[in-house]
Amino acid sequence: MLSDVIRSMIEHQPDMRVVCEVLDPIELLRTMRLVPADVVIITPLKVNGDQRICNHLLEEHPLLKIMILSANSKAGLLFQMGVPTIRIDDPSEQEILSALRTIVR
Amino acid sequence: MQESIQIFIADDNRLLREGLVSMLVEQNDMLVVGKAPSGREALEQIKRLRPEVALIDIGMPDKDGIELTQALRQDAPEVKVIILGMIDLSDEIMQCIEAGAAGYVLKESSFDHLVETIRSVHRGESFCSPQMTASLFTRIAELASEKMPKLQNSVKLTVRELEIITLIAEGLPNKEIAQRLFIETQTVKNHVHNILDKLQLQNRLEAVRYARERNLLKQS
Repeated sequence: MLSDVIRSMIEHQPDMRVVCEVLDPIELLRTMRLVPADVVIITPLKVNGDQRICNHLLEEHPLLKIMILSANSKAGLLFQMGVPTIRIDDPSEQEILSALRTIVR
Repeated sequence: MQESIQIFIADDNRLLREGLVSMLVEQNDMLVVGKAPSGREALEQIKRLRPEVALIDIGMPDKDGIELTQALRQDAPEVKVIILGMIDLSDEIMQCIEAGAAGYVLKESSFDHLVETIRSVHRGESFCSPQMTASLFTRIAELASEKMPKLQNSVKLTVRELEIITLIAEGLPNKEIAQRLFIETQTVKNHVHNILDKLQLQNRLEAVRYARERNLLKQS
């Protein structure tokens, strides 16, 4: 449900698009080799072991930006170069979108 | 023109709460009339707004989803509740049903599934996914088997004990029952004691009611 919400939110933006949606970490790593993305958003309800996935992703794609929505998505964390740079508590749609634009710019 | 289903959303997850509002308003037959981040606030608003369907997160601060559902059953019984749950646990689903929920949807379900559930519940149906229905039936079977020993006791009553319950039901005291069956009064007392013990009942009236409800009384 949360991933549907995020996809819908992004699809309504003129400057963003969802290139792929996956359900598990292995699929994520495999897909990223085929469909490069600027940002990966990880929702905890679908993908577990967030930190290990981040490490794997960043090894293969060092410039990748990653947004992790914490358990229940009560906080959003944005990683650049593997370092958390933005933390948003209980983020709204607008705050998530704004953070994504900031980090990709 | 078809009237819109009036929906309320109670979830402490702001992103999900706002996102669901944005997505539900795109449905032609749905209207979000209110939203709240906590159980207590949701209860106040729902009592005032009287939506037709309330989507309620199971784990909210102040008042969790089950407590809120119970409160709504008292204060706004016409509101149909759909619980947004985190895990597929039959015990949790049973608790929600007991509290008065009409539907249970996992948060990891798709948005389309949620929309389908809202429409079903609005039509007056109870709804959970086929996977959850299976675990629910398993749990019901477990609960039923826990009650089986009591039920089995009813078939363990002897013919004589059934005769005695039937005569008690006719209003006869022990002495007259003894005369009717050509046995001692003390023997009747023993039978009555055994019957109450087997059925785990307190008195003769309860035994008669028990037998009557199960059609155990012999035809005279």
